[in-house]
Amino acid sequence: MSTPLLQLEHISKSFPGVQALSDVSFDVRAGEVHALLGENGAGKSTLIKIVSGVYRPDSGEMRIDGQPITFNSPRDAQALGVATIYQELSLYPELTVAENIFMGHTPRRKIGPFSAIDWGTMEARAKEILASLNIHNMDVNRKVGSLNVGNRQRVEIAKALSINARVLIMDEPTAALTESDVEQLFEIVRLLRERSVGIVYISHRLIEVFELADRVTVLRDGQYVDTRQVSEVDEPKLISMMVGRSIDNLFPKLPPKPADIVLEVKNLTRAPLTRNVSFNVRAGEIVGLSGLVGSGRSELAQVIFGILPAQSGEILLNGKPVTIKHPADAVNLGIAYVPEDRGTQGLVKQMAIRENTSLAVLREISRATFIKRGAERKLARDAIQQLNIRAYGHQQLVNKLSGGNQQKVVVGKWLAAKPRLLIMDEPTRGIDVGAKAEIHRLMSQLAVEQGLAILMISSELPEILGMSDRVIVMREGAIAAEFTREQANQETIAAAMMGTTPAVAATTSGGTGA
Amino acid sequence: MQHGATAPATPPATERKDNRALKFILSQEMILLVLSAIAIAVLSTQNERFLTMRNLSREIVLAFEVALIALPMTFIIITGGIDLSVGSIFGMTAIIMGFLWQDSGLPLELAMLLGLGVGFIAGMINAFFIVIIGVPPLITTLATLALYRGIALGISEARSARGFPEWFQDIGRGGIPVNLTIGDQTLAAIPWQLVIIVIAVVIFGVVLSRTTFGRSLYAIGNNEVAARFAGIRTGFAKFVIYTTSGVMASIAAIVFVSRVTTTRSDMGSGIELDAIAAVVLGGTSIFGGSGSILGTILGLILIQVLKNGLLLAGVRGDGTIIMIGVVLIIAVLVNNFIQSKLGSR
Amino acid sequence: MTATAKVSTPAAAPKRRFRITVSQELILVLAILVISLSVSVLQPRFLEQRNITDILNNSSYIAVAALGMALIIISGNIDISVGQQIAVLASLGGLLSIGGADNLLAAVGIAPGGPLTGLLTYTLPILAGVAIGLVNGFIVAYLRVPAIVVTLGMMSILKGGLIFITGGDVIYNMPNWFKFAQQRIEGVVPIPVLIMIVLTIVMALWMRYSAGGRAIYAVGGNKEAARLSGISERAVIMRVFVINGVLIGIASLMFATQYNSIQTTTLNGLELLIITSAVVGGVSILGGTGTVIGATLGAILVHVLPPAMVFANISAYWVQAVQGGLILLTVLADIVRRRRQSFAGRI
Repeated sequence: MSTPLLQLEHISKSFPGVQALSDVSFDVRAGEVHALLGENGAGKSTLIKIVSGVYRPDSGEMRIDGQPITFNSPRDAQALGVATIYQELSLYPELTVAENIFMGHTPRRKIGPFSAIDWGTMEARAKEILASLNIHNMDVNRKVGSLNVGNRQRVEIAKALSINARVLIMDEPTAALTESDVEQLFEIVRLLRERSVGIVYISHRLIEVFELADRVTVLRDGQYVDTRQVSEVDEPKLISMMVGRSIDNLFPKLPPKPADIVLEVKNLTRAPLTRNVSFNVRAGEIVGLSGLVGSGRSELAQVIFGILPAQSGEILLNGKPVTIKHPADAVNLGIAYVPEDRGTQGLVKQMAIRENTSLAVLREISRATFIKRGAERKLARDAIQQLNIRAYGHQQLVNKLSGGNQQKVVVGKWLAAKPRLLIMDEPTRGIDVGAKAEIHRLMSQLAVEQGLAILMISSELPEILGMSDRVIVMREGAIAAEFTREQANQETIAAAMMGTTPAVAATTSGGTGA
Repeated sequence: MQHGATAPATPPATERKDNRALKFILSQEMILLVLSAIAIAVLSTQNERFLTMRNLSREIVLAFEVALIALPMTFIIITGGIDLSVGSIFGMTAIIMGFLWQDSGLPLELAMLLGLGVGFIAGMINAFFIVIIGVPPLITTLATLALYRGIALGISEARSARGFPEWFQDIGRGGIPVNLTIGDQTLAAIPWQLVIIVIAVVIFGVVLSRTTFGRSLYAIGNNEVAARFAGIRTGFAKFVIYTTSGVMASIAAIVFVSRVTTTRSDMGSGIELDAIAAVVLGGTSIFGGSGSILGTILGLILIQVLKNGLLLAGVRGDGTIIMIGVVLIIAVLVNNFIQSKLGSR
Repeated sequence: MTATAKVSTPAAAPKRRFRITVSQELILVLAILVISLSVSVLQPRFLEQRNITDILNNSSYIAVAALGMALIIISGNIDISVGQQIAVLASLGGLLSIGGADNLLAAVGIAPGGPLTGLLTYTLPILAGVAIGLVNGFIVAYLRVPAIVVTLGMMSILKGGLIFITGGDVIYNMPNWFKFAQQRIEGVVPIPVLIMIVLTIVMALWMRYSAGGRAIYAVGGNKEAARLSGISERAVIMRVFVINGVLIGIASLMFATQYNSIQTTTLNGLELLIITSAVVGGVSILGGTGTVIGATLGAILVHVLPPAMVFANISAYWVQAVQGGLILLTVLADIVRRRRQSFAGRI
């Protein structure tokens, strides 16, 4: 077997509080499509960033064509023929297709003593590259901003070819594409494979893995699991490789005492990621909302919470229809949302714990708009104590806390609002095990002892299985399946998430318990 | 994902205390206070008349307009925005008020009220473009700076209003009669400017530091997304501050007109520079998220003292413009430096 | 998988290379023509050669300044000190011409009155412009102070400096060799117009054909992507401010040599005029797009308005208001357009 184009050996990378990758080895050969699989948070994106030169590994070695190399910047990676297409496309909306393809390495020609950009050649080569991908009718003089997503992605691929990429990394390329765009993408991938490009293909959609990939590597919790020929594995095997772990008693879950329906959602729609969603949550129960990245779970939460107001459908709280157009409406109605990205959405990092915990209840702790300092301090101290936040005082700036403690501050903020419905979006992401258990214990208590209705969005199957009384699986904006706690297991949920079983048009009415 | 639970180390108590003391000493407000004190001390040795009540009273009257405008400007910059149109709103208010009274014959009281309305509407228009349309504050207020100044020019056609009645002039030139005598100094009256500015400073200061509204401004400046996710009505808050800025500019204009008893279309030109310089010097970060009214006041004081110092040193009045420009740039630099050292950015 | 959108392939119409740029410029040219023609209906004298030449003449130095402003805005920055820069540099040129240059030469020991006098008079203002650009650029690029703050401060520094230099007086009695802007070629085409055309072409070519020009669009269009492409934001910022300095220097000389005296009071609000020219000319204030040809056309359009207004019996005092309104409208249209093109980002 000839030398692989790209080799990674024993790569490890950690960030404050989190070991993103430990001892991962991986290689890509010319002319192969190598799929990279793993749950959210398994370490795939960290791995890509290392390969594309954004991060440097803490330890381990990288080789291109057998030669050891180090990337100090993305430019170095590109120079050696490694191109990456991120989910967030890196394009200039106001510039043309041709300009985007060749930015940074535009073709030149000499006019006297000057080296001028050769627009003619650029245009022609852009067309050539697109043609080589079987794209014949894209106007290379159109501004990229006016193209749809599928076409923009094609521009990104053309960009990679323009630097003669030998390794092309594609991160969730089909996430935002229409079906026909996906078909065209597959054609392009096959074309590239024939041209001996090594393609690293990251996708959650197992169908695509089976259709396109030659080999597949699975990561789990930052560790390397295995690399297999796609022809030698089947879906259940892959799923178990991705999620298989013993579910110990990490989740101190008390049995629920389900009661009245707190939240009922009917035909809630907000294009494109919330499509005709209907479900409910009862007081005292934890509903786990599962699904892949891009399945619309966070969007659903944000629709309910008023950040992205619904276009149609109904929301009922305790049986009464409500209109939620702004988060303030939601808060007033007793809904709380612990967001997915605590850094940018959940915390004001330059402020102290005290100021963060009071942020959602400023009106409650103030008299005639004057904040009662004593009440605010007490609120903070209570949160610190109740949630066991490790800090030296309520004055501590939040940006100095660890991930787990930061998350507790966010939770504390929302508990202060005494909500009826608590939506938690990836509540234990990026948190150490100890803090995780604490938060889980807390959630359990809140549901059972205080009668909160909890909607928990999570990408960690063990968490979903361990904490939920019911599990709802979303796929592409719609509900794909619903399971009771007894029915749910890793395989069925994962299968529903990835769409190898037909989507069940589920309109739930409270599960089997009612 | 981590595989072993490790609790984050709590910084030892002593280290924590040192940090806080250092922070306090190094805070921009403290530095300003010290600098101002030194500057005043130096100035009063060079000019024995500086620290007299009469002179101080005069200084306050002269700095009134900038001070009044710097208050809402503090709010705006804390949220990460800016308002360049205040000078034009100032001029437009002066012109419209004069025009309504002199040319249209409206009673002066009504004209003053409508003048306030001008500031209100101008501020609202700014807010509309910034909040609802989403044009960045810099560009919006740069455009309205031209628009409002242009309206002032268009209406006034470079003519002035004159001949204001006594009672009107007393606003800007008079005050509360006290006839104070301390030692060998006498003060005839406490100027209305001082009264207004003290009330304004108290209100703005208290609102910023103690109320929910003030807290929301800091939140918006630090992380507008998180503020919104916490249920804070960020659009409303921004509407309020830009409108207030317009109103304060028009109040300042009315008092100014009454003091100089005339109106001119170029009034207020450049006042935004003075206000922004004071705010930034006072410790408000140009990027938003921090700042205080106290800091702004100290900034104003320091600039005023420096101006006096320059005058004493024989620099002509216009030379102070250079100083303010330099102060502005250096203030931002110093502020950036301090914030990066304290690790808050 | 369920597809919700129909298949969409990009429009296949073959387009000439310049199609995209022409559309904005075309609109500007049309606007200029429409306004001119409408006014000439009311007042036929509007289209007299003399009036047209006047308008073009008056707009020339603004257009040159707008070229520099276009570069700065495209890169995602702004410079509101340009008005004062022109005032200072023009005064500098004027003072040099009436004896300042000779004094300098004498101080260095060179005999005055020779060609060096002229050389100094014409080059020092440009060099000073470059120096100011270097300072502005450095503070923005390396010290991370926002451009608005730096140039706001610089504006007032220059304002004070101006009074320092001129004492507020008008400069006059300048020698004949310092009146080149008053000359015409073949008695018809004024030199300033010629300079405007030449510089516009030069800058347009540079922006289009050089890597430096591309880099400006990149940094203004998507800073992150530019960084990933290896483009240095700092270098681009320094470059645009320095080039602006050169252009402002030239524009100042054009202004200084236009009349028999230099009255800097007429330059009030000049920076706004220049910014308006660029913005109306299609340079998006949000950065990343726009052309220098558009900026020049914008300058001309902005100068067609005041005489058009005068001929239409609207008081000239409303010009600035119209400018402000124009900026708002243009920016409004730009933002609405951008919002309609939703940019594909994270799902």
